[in-house]
Amino acid sequence: MQHFALTIVGRDRPGIVAQVTEILFNLGCNIADSSCSILGGQFAMILIISHPQFTGRDSFGEAFRPLEDADLTVALRVLKPGGEVPPHFEGEICMISVYGADRPGIVYRVAQVLGAKRINITDLNTKLVGSEQRPVYVMILEAILPAGVSEQEVDVWMTPLREQLQVDINVRTIPQVEL
Amino acid sequence: MAVRPILIYPDPRLKQAAAPVAEDDGSVADLIQDLVDTMVAAGHSVGIAAPQIGDLRRVMVVDVSSSKLGQQQFNHGLLEMANPRIIERSGSRVFREGCMSVPEYTGNVTRAEHIVFEFTDRHGRLRVVESSGFEAVAIQHELDHLDGLLFLDRVSSLKTDVFRRKRG
Repeated sequence: MQHFALTIVGRDRPGIVAQVTEILFNLGCNIADSSCSILGGQFAMILIISHPQFTGRDSFGEAFRPLEDADLTVALRVLKPGGEVPPHFEGEICMISVYGADRPGIVYRVAQVLGAKRINITDLNTKLVGSEQRPVYVMILEAILPAGVSEQEVDVWMTPLREQLQVDINVRTIPQVEL
Repeated sequence: MAVRPILIYPDPRLKQAAAPVAEDDGSVADLIQDLVDTMVAAGHSVGIAAPQIGDLRRVMVVDVSSSKLGQQQFNHGLLEMANPRIIERSGSRVFREGCMSVPEYTGNVTRAEHIVFEFTDRHGRLRVVESSGFEAVAIQHELDHLDGLLFLDRVSSLKTDVFRRKRG
């Protein structure tokens, strides 16, 4: 079955999820993985969808027009075969919390260190909190540590960043248990 | 005795509360043995509750001693429990839990770090035991099965929940 990645972003208001999913339901689309959240004042939806007959962008016709008319930005990505299959990650789940006075480069510098070590980031959220006078930046990410990389080692990698960025960084693994 | 098939959600029995074992229930030992056999046959499993094999009695077994995580701390080996009940709980600990009855899905669950619990053992004796860490988490997970709860009912949050707060 052909799969698509659908992203929808727009000013948050009640009813967006209902409007989007009603259209998908009426088209006969299946929703597989999805994630929707408020970021700033915007509501952002990302959905992996499929349809037994749809083969490409044209199959959707003008179905998303009402969303665009309601000031939502809609983007559809046609996935290549296998693009809907989640990769299997072998390793320990590691949560990294980074927080401190807001300054440029916090996300980049942390991601750079992990990327250089070939560590896969599987989830990442950031938020600007605190007051206007004293903005505080919070980033929480989840990464998968491959065999041979320990929590302590990641912590050591973060040490120079604590100094350079003047942020607090906490590294901890979450044990995975099958019960 | 016997290795029994493990029920997979959406089997409705997984969402039912199990009934207390009667004092004169002579077949509990057989049920306990089935649970142990099924747990062992499931390889990596560290615990199983009776509803997971379709028996709605408050019986469960836990044994973390063969798991890597369990070996890192003190544990009680094989615990065979009828009518288990947690008397005290303290602290909290997050594990990424998975369940044999809910394959292919895991979620972060916060549970008590230390518990004191009581149960009736295979020989009908009342025991009170203290447990911490992984073993305590496994006991809480299995006990939930006796109340018709899956870890999905306990997933405290989406990962983004940490950011959810009162708007200033």
